[in-house]
Amino acid sequence: MSYRPTLTRTWWLKNNAFKAYMLRELTALPLLFFLLCLAIGLYSLGQGEQQWQHWQTVMQNPLVLLINAVAFAASLFHAWTFFQLFPRVMPIRLGGTTVPAAALVAGQWAGVVSVFALVAWLFWG
Amino acid sequence: MKLDITIQRYLPEQAAEPFAQTYSVPYDASTSVLDALTYIKEELDPTLSYRWSCRMAICGSCGMMINGKPILGCNVFLRDYAKTGMLIEPLAHFPVERDLIIDMESFLTHLEAVKPYLINKKAQGVQTFEPHVQTPQQLDKYQQFSNCINCGLCYSACPQFGLNPEFIGPAALTLAHRYNLDSRDQGQAERMPMINSEEGAWSCTFVGYCSEVCPKQVDPAAAVNQSKVTSATDLLLSLLGGRS
Repeated sequence: MSYRPTLTRTWWLKNNAFKAYMLRELTALPLLFFLLCLAIGLYSLGQGEQQWQHWQTVMQNPLVLLINAVAFAASLFHAWTFFQLFPRVMPIRLGGTTVPAAALVAGQWAGVVSVFALVAWLFWG
Repeated sequence: MKLDITIQRYLPEQAAEPFAQTYSVPYDASTSVLDALTYIKEELDPTLSYRWSCRMAICGSCGMMINGKPILGCNVFLRDYAKTGMLIEPLAHFPVERDLIIDMESFLTHLEAVKPYLINKKAQGVQTFEPHVQTPQQLDKYQQFSNCINCGLCYSACPQFGLNPEFIGPAALTLAHRYNLDSRDQGQAERMPMINSEEGAWSCTFVGYCSEVCPKQVDPAAAVNQSKVTSATDLLLSLLGGRS
């Protein structure tokens, strides 16, 4: 005779490691909102100038701006967690020795900075 | 000094449901939780049941939940719980047979399923015994993943295993990866169908808590997620016809 404990819906509230995990997964929701905005924007562009102007007005709504600001912060947070996990998932060996995790993390952030620089140059350069 | 220790008891012949029982245990700076359980069994309550063997975090027998965290009872001291108090429960996500004794059958089945041994086609039927030569670099590839002591803490730390007991789980997938990385092994093709399956590596969502609780720093989360890379490569190769 034995009993099998079952997980409740609130299992993740019992432990800080699980809360951090859920926060990481939760970043997908504001990013989904941003992607929807982007997709509607592209569709509006195809519908003509009036639709495009209308989409731009909606994008300047303070609530939309706020959610997109949250999405931006969430994507940076998710990147931070992802970059830390990357060296453990794909350890890179060069000449028989493993590349230090810190070097791989730094390399990924260097990639982010260069993408930001490219975007800044495209729009404001 | 004394510490009140609450233990989740389960005595199927007395009650259908588990219940809590508190014992007051004397301790000093060197008293481990396992020492405390031995004191309770010898001095206070001989009906208490728990598993133990080596007392030094080698055998992996005394895994339990202490204040909700999977940990080896021999590997932690009472002095660290003077302020928080202590609740001891059996390892999470496993059926409980009695008190702190869990049924590890599913864990052992999963271990067996990954063929955790060297598979070497050349060696079969050979009558002479020759050493399997391996360079330090080849050993370095898998050595960390071979330190597992089968204590089961990672399974209690894994919510995916808690939600789906069919999930092969951290330790077994790590062991599969350990043999796949071994230069003496040729059994990867036999292990891949299990790793690729619904219950294999892809059920892992990299919660990562398994690696935090591992008493041997095996980092099962890394091994399982490295297996995803192997699994994806395996799929790509089969789609391109590079593998029969």
